[in-house]
This record gives sequence, structure tokens and C-alpha cells, in this order.
Amino acid sequence: MESPKPLESNLISKLTKLATKKRIEFWDIRVASSSGTLLEFTNGKNKEVSYSNIKGAGIRAFINGGWGFSVKQNISDSSIIEGLNEAIKLALFAERYSKFKFKIKEYDLIRDKYTTKLKTPLKDVDIEQKIDFALQIEKDAHDFDPRVINTNSLYTDGIINSLLINSFGSSIEQSISILRIFSIVYAKENGNLQRNFESIGGIGGYELTKKADKIGIKSAKKAIKLLSAKPVKGGKFTVIMDPKLTGVFIHEAFGHACEADLVIAKESILEEKLGEKVASENISIIDDPTPSDMALFGSYKFDDEGIAAKPVQLVENGVLKTYLHDLESASRMNVSPNGHGRASSYSSKPQARMGVTYLKEHDWKLNEMIEDTKNGVLCENWKYGYTNPATGNFQFKTRNCYKIENGEKTELMRDVGLSGLILEILNRVSAIGNKIEYSDGVCGKGGQRVRNCTGGPYLRVEDVVMGGLQ
Amino acid sequence: MITKNNFPKENNVLFNRGKFGLRITEKYDKVKCSEIYVQKTDAFEIGLEKNSIKDCNKSESCGFSVRVFDKRGSLGFAYANDISSKIIEKTINNAVKMMKVGPPNDEFKDLPFPKKSNSKVTGIYDKNIKDLEFETPFDLIKDMIKISSDDSQVVTQSGDFSSLYTYYYVFNSNGIEISSKETAASLTSSIVVKNNGKNETGNGFHWQIERKYKDLDAIKVVNKTLQMAKMNLNRIKIETMNVPLILTPKGVISLILNPIASAINADTFQYNRSFLVGKLNKKIGSDLLNIEDNGLINGAVGSSEFDAEGVPCQNKKIFENGVFLSLLHNSFTAGKDNVESTGNAQRNSFSSTPNIGSTNLYFNPGDYKTQELFEDIKIGILLDYTGDSPNLATGDFSGLILNGNIIRNGEIQESLNETMVGINILDLFNRIEKVSNKLEVYGSKNAPYVKISNVQISGSK
Repeated sequence: MESPKPLESNLISKLTKLATKKRIEFWDIRVASSSGTLLEFTNGKNKEVSYSNIKGAGIRAFINGGWGFSVKQNISDSSIIEGLNEAIKLALFAERYSKFKFKIKEYDLIRDKYTTKLKTPLKDVDIEQKIDFALQIEKDAHDFDPRVINTNSLYTDGIINSLLINSFGSSIEQSISILRIFSIVYAKENGNLQRNFESIGGIGGYELTKKADKIGIKSAKKAIKLLSAKPVKGGKFTVIMDPKLTGVFIHEAFGHACEADLVIAKESILEEKLGEKVASENISIIDDPTPSDMALFGSYKFDDEGIAAKPVQLVENGVLKTYLHDLESASRMNVSPNGHGRASSYSSKPQARMGVTYLKEHDWKLNEMIEDTKNGVLCENWKYGYTNPATGNFQFKTRNCYKIENGEKTELMRDVGLSGLILEILNRVSAIGNKIEYSDGVCGKGGQRVRNCTGGPYLRVEDVVMGGLQ
Repeated sequence: MITKNNFPKENNVLFNRGKFGLRITEKYDKVKCSEIYVQKTDAFEIGLEKNSIKDCNKSESCGFSVRVFDKRGSLGFAYANDISSKIIEKTINNAVKMMKVGPPNDEFKDLPFPKKSNSKVTGIYDKNIKDLEFETPFDLIKDMIKISSDDSQVVTQSGDFSSLYTYYYVFNSNGIEISSKETAASLTSSIVVKNNGKNETGNGFHWQIERKYKDLDAIKVVNKTLQMAKMNLNRIKIETMNVPLILTPKGVISLILNPIASAINADTFQYNRSFLVGKLNKKIGSDLLNIEDNGLINGAVGSSEFDAEGVPCQNKKIFENGVFLSLLHNSFTAGKDNVESTGNAQRNSFSSTPNIGSTNLYFNPGDYKTQELFEDIKIGILLDYTGDSPNLATGDFSGLILNGNIIRNGEIQESLNETMVGINILDLFNRIEKVSNKLEVYGSKNAPYVKISNVQISGSK
């Protein structure tokens, strides 16, 4: 697949001239071309074997508080010029009626190239080999136990080649290679039907499939285990979250409220809380899209506004230190952008988003936490979670949990929902585990889905409301 | 069916490219049957933040996808957003390659054959949306801003106006040749209000989607949003209790219509993943449970003459007096069950294979005025919105009430914090006690107020 060619300097000077003439204060252009494979099988049969090829350009123009955005799928010079003209027209219209006037602050230009570091390029692997791999996941899951009644396996990979230029003079070329694998298993016994979902994902080449080697077995094993789980009884409990749940909890319940665009829009309960204590003293929360191997599913070197990503300390020892910024929110709050302006693709506008968000580890071992708990539950993994950032109400569905009675793990339970109020619950953390684990996911906001990672250790929280069916 | 003669000129290119693609697929002898889907969309959006216009966005997209099947039932699928002949040829070649290496699927029978539609569906296209000048919707936005800024309790409003024009063709090797021209325009509003004198905020949201521009009512959308946000104030924590539950139309959509739409999807059903498996033609709910899926209502958001595979849409009774009657099929699931497709194939865009979805889903009205549902309740709960959905496989539901209130002596009172509802959906179907006589429309979903006799509520007090 071809990468978008760097724009010729005379095209760039044409665009600059056009924007200057119309008093445009900031503009940027993201051109991308991507290709990908999707393999989906169910009960060992072909559901979809597909190949895609998409290209286009997203063009933004800004003037005095008003944004215009135009999406073109033709990436010829003339189409890009037309796109900028449209974006300018739309920005001038928005500016005329916008009540809030502000400027986009200029920052140092970046001229760079970034290519995913990988061992086995996706294109070097035959489609037949990818199919065999996904069918093996199907077989592993199906053969695990006769109680498995339906299996669904997905393999998806893709390469996104992109070019970003903006009116500060930045020019960033990137080639990102991504891969994701899912195994969904349904098991049934005496009318009781349970579902389990496992996924792995990362930034890299075909070598990432090694991480998913036994994913079908793992997924089936958990589904079978859920058959013996009992529905939970509602009430208030001490809860120990496993690393997967801690990660997604931090992401949903806290991370979204840190997104500066929501803060500006007055839709976050963390508004005016900078420098204040928002969590127990030992809590530190960081978003770092630049882990050392750059292979976590949420990692990136540059955000979609051409700002270099770096570790951002959101909470330090319980105190809120900063928000996650895109270019606009940083300008409006008079701070430096911190590399969190992200878009799902060229056809969407960047928003303030998370990358790799995690809660820092401390000193408890899991067995110590359990032994130290009289009456509680140990919750493992999650199905989904959400938060209302304006009221702070959150809710998480965990896959399963174990009762803890007098320091011992006992009965297995399912369909557990945890809920609470963000600012209350982070102040009720009573133990933090000593080892972080990460998991991958895709996060939705404003209709856009971006790749993400969440992480954390085992975490114990007091007085959590658990909803159940009884 | 549309013949080439009456195709609007503007879409001759789409037509010709689609036909061209179909001819190419027919050149491959391993291909048993094939389908080309070509689609053009234009979208426009005005975004509102902090009760002020912030951005305007415009996007265009045109692309196609190809499905090819061999006699083993292996599906090769490919798509691109470029309809030049070179890319069409290359993409089809990729799809055929995928088909050849893919595993078989003996459950695939055939792509659908042409069938005449019994009713013409009108009112799904509005030239005023297709040719919309971007200044025009400003009048709507202005009303939204004014109502919010005139209210001293409003902290902020976000929302948008958006419009969409879609034109698509479906061609298949069995002779299907259909096209559809559709428009939609929508308003959404999300408002945060404060409780004057108290350190508390609440929020609400509302939306409206219409096929015709003139049907949008900005004043109503904002007033509904404001009402919901204000009802979210004065939140209290309550004790655990077992009491009657009233679902608002929004609540009915999230707790009854959406789960049913998923559970009657034949794909979910055939793999035994639905809580309704084994219940076809059985009475599983109260007499007041009457639901239909009607794709033929003129002017409705979920209507069209043909579905995304070119099969005529229909009107189907899903539940009648509590008896579960019908599933939703596309051609694949229909073939597997040896029945006719119900015309429920849907695509989000050219980039997806046809899945299954409801058209316009109706929870049919009952006999009571809304107020009469509340009258005899000493203590109960009103549920307007939850972010949760039931476990589709078991029907178990345990959800947080994000917008809901306590009912005392027939009156809606304080709003709720940290309150959860737990019930199995099948129990809920049986406990439907009263249904109001008026429906509210949310896009393609239509629902009344519904009273459920007894529900377990977990509070945190």
C-alpha cells in the first residue's frame, strides 16, 4: 500500500497563502491511507474474510474561537486546496457566532518520521497463515469442553500511513502497524448460558500473535467456570479489584473527568480541583503513551495534532496535578499541550483523550490483601463500565467475583455491578497492590473510538455499592 | 425497482461503477454469487459547546464493497473508498482471493433474488437536507442557545445539529438492482443544571432525528432536556426496597426495546446466544406486551423500501399479547432457517457486511393516561435512563439509575444517587401492569410509559 506522499513545498506555500489571506490563525491537514485484514469465524465457519483500503484527508481551520473541518477522500493537491477553502468558510461561519473568543498558542514545530518498531511485517505473512491462526483459536475454544456451544474468533490487523502538516510548520510522517485478536465463547449447562470475552492487542507486527497463543483455551476455560458462578446479592462491601478492573476503573471513573475539553465545557466534576486532594494519599495516576517498547495498544509517539507524547502525572499522592490536553484546551487554560489530542482517523477532529492510563503500584501483595479482609469480594475483569462525568456516578460490570469471608476466598459469583461516586470512592482506597498489569481496549467519546491501554495493580476499596439480582 | 431510465443523472456514475464491478465479479469462475454495494454520503454538523457555536464540519464519502461467495459458502469481502475502475478491479481481486483461501460455510445458501416490494415508502428523502446551506440550521441552534441562556439554573449546554444525505445501490448476480436515496437531520442537546443554593449539579439529554428538515423542533428538544436535567437534582441515597417501577419512554427503550432488538436478531438467536431461545410462539409476557417492527412507515427514520441486500422491508408483529412471534432475518440467517428474509439487513456504511437490525420498533400503546400509572403508588421508582443493558444471553439485568426519581404517594420527588435496579427481563415482561396511551418517538424507536409491578432496588443508604 502506498503512503501519502509528503506535500510538495509549493503546495504548502499555496495553502499558507490561502489561509493568511483569509485571516486564518491556525490550520492543519492530516492525510492518511490505511489497509487492513479482518478475519471472523464462528463455530469454525467463515463469517467474514475481508480486506480494506481507505484513504482521505481531514482539514481544519481555526479563527478566533471558531473551527471549521472538512473531510475529503480525494487527496490530490486540488482536492486538498478545496478542502482548506471549505474549512476556512466553515471556520469563519463558526467564528461569527461563537461567544468564546480565544487563540491557539503557537508551539515549536516538529519535523519527524515515526515507524512502528516490529519484527515480522504484516505484509510478509500469508493470509492463509493468518486464517490458520484464527481457526486454531476457534478449535481450541470449541474442543475445550462439550459445554461450549458457540465460539467466535476475530483476527484484525492494519497499517496506517499518515502525514500531518500544520501552520506552525510541523510535518510528521508516521507508519503505524496494529494487530488485535478476540475470542468470545458461550457455554451452556442446564439452561444456564454464560459468555466470556478475551482480547489481546498491540502496536507491532505479526509477532504480537504470540501473546494470543492460548487465547481460545483461556476464553473457554473462563466461560466454563462462569457456569458454576451464582448471581450476586446486592449490598455494600469491601472490594478488591484485579489489575484489569483497576485499570478500567481508573480510565472510566477518573480519566474521562481529567479530559480538559470536558473541564472547559463544564462537564467534569474535576473542574477547579487542580492542586486539591481528590484521592487517598497513596494514589498516583499517570497517563504515559510512550512506554519503553511502544508496543502497548494505547501507545503513540505523536498525537493527532503533532504534539510529542510524554508521561503526564494526573494525580500525585492523592492531589490532582493536571488535565489531559489537546491544543485548544491547552491554549484556553494557558498551559503547554501535553500530547493528548487524538482522533479516531483522518475523518474525525482531535479531542482530549487518554492513551495509556495507569494507577501506580504500592506495597501490598494480593494474599495479604485477602487475609486482611473480613467481609468482602474479589472482583475479576470487566464487561463494561461508564461514568457520568458531570455527577460523578459510575458503574462497572465485572465478569465475576469471589466472596471473601474472614480472610479467605470462597464462593464464585457473576453479574456483579459496582457503583459509586468518583470523588468519594478514590478516598476510600485501603490497599494498593505491588504489581501493575496492562490491558488493551478501545474507548469511545463523541462518536470516536481510539485505541487505549489501562493498567494498575490489585486495589482494595471500602464501602462499594454492589448491585445484584437478589 | 428502479430502471436505468429513471435514475437521477447525478448518480449515473455510481450506477455505472456498480454495474462495472458486478460484471468483473462474473468473470471469476470460482464465484458462485456476488454483490456490489456502492454508497455516497454527505454529512454536515454544527457543534455546540458551553452554549455557544464552536465548530462546523463537513464530510463527503463515496465507496463500495464487494461480497463474493464460492460454492463452499466461503465469503470474500473487500471495500475501498475510491470507485475508479483500477481500484474496483483490484478490490474485487482481493475479495476473490479472500474467498478462495477462506474456510467453508455450509450454512450459506444464496444471495437474495429480486422480489417486488408491496408498498412504496415515501417521505424518506428531503431535498432541503441534501441541498442544505450551512447557514440555514443556525436558526435552530439560535433557539437552543437562547432557551438555555435564559434559564438561571443552566450551567452549560452542549449538542449539535447534523444532517446526512445517503445514496446507495445494491446489485447482485441474482438480478437484484435497487437504489435508495435517503436523508436525515438531527438535533441533540445535553444540559448541566445547578441547584441554586446547593452545591449540586444534574444533567439531562434529549435528541430528535427526522427525515425532513422542517420537522425538527429545537424548542421542544431543549425544553425536554431541561426538564430531564432539573429532575436529576435533589439527589438522595435510598434504602434497598422492593417496589413498583415506572419506565419512561427512554427507560422502555433501554430496558425493553433495545434488548428485544438484539435478542430477536436471528444471528444471535441461531447461535443460542439470546435469552429468547426456546420461547418462539410461547406466551412469555403480560398481555400488554405488544411490539412490532415496521419498516414501511412513510417518513419514519427506520423506514426504507428495500433493506441493505435489496430485500423488501416489511411490517412484523414481534410480540402480540405477550406471545413471542417473530425473528429478524437477513438473507444468510433466513437461508439457514429455510425461511424468507424479513428484510432486516442493515449496513452502517459500505465498509460493513450486512448485519441484522430493527427498522422502526414500536411498543404499542395501552389504555392509561400517563398520570394514571403513578396514581396508586405509595412508594416506587421512576427510571428514565441507565447506561446499562441486560445480559443478552440470560436476560439478567442489574443497572445503575443515572436519571431516575423516587415516587411517593403518586408524585415524582427527589432524584437518586447510587441506586441500582436488578431484574431478569423475562420477569419484567410478566410484571408489566399498565401501559400509557401515548408514544414518544426517539429516532426509530417508539415507546410509551410502562409500569412494572415489583422490582428489586438496591440503595446505598
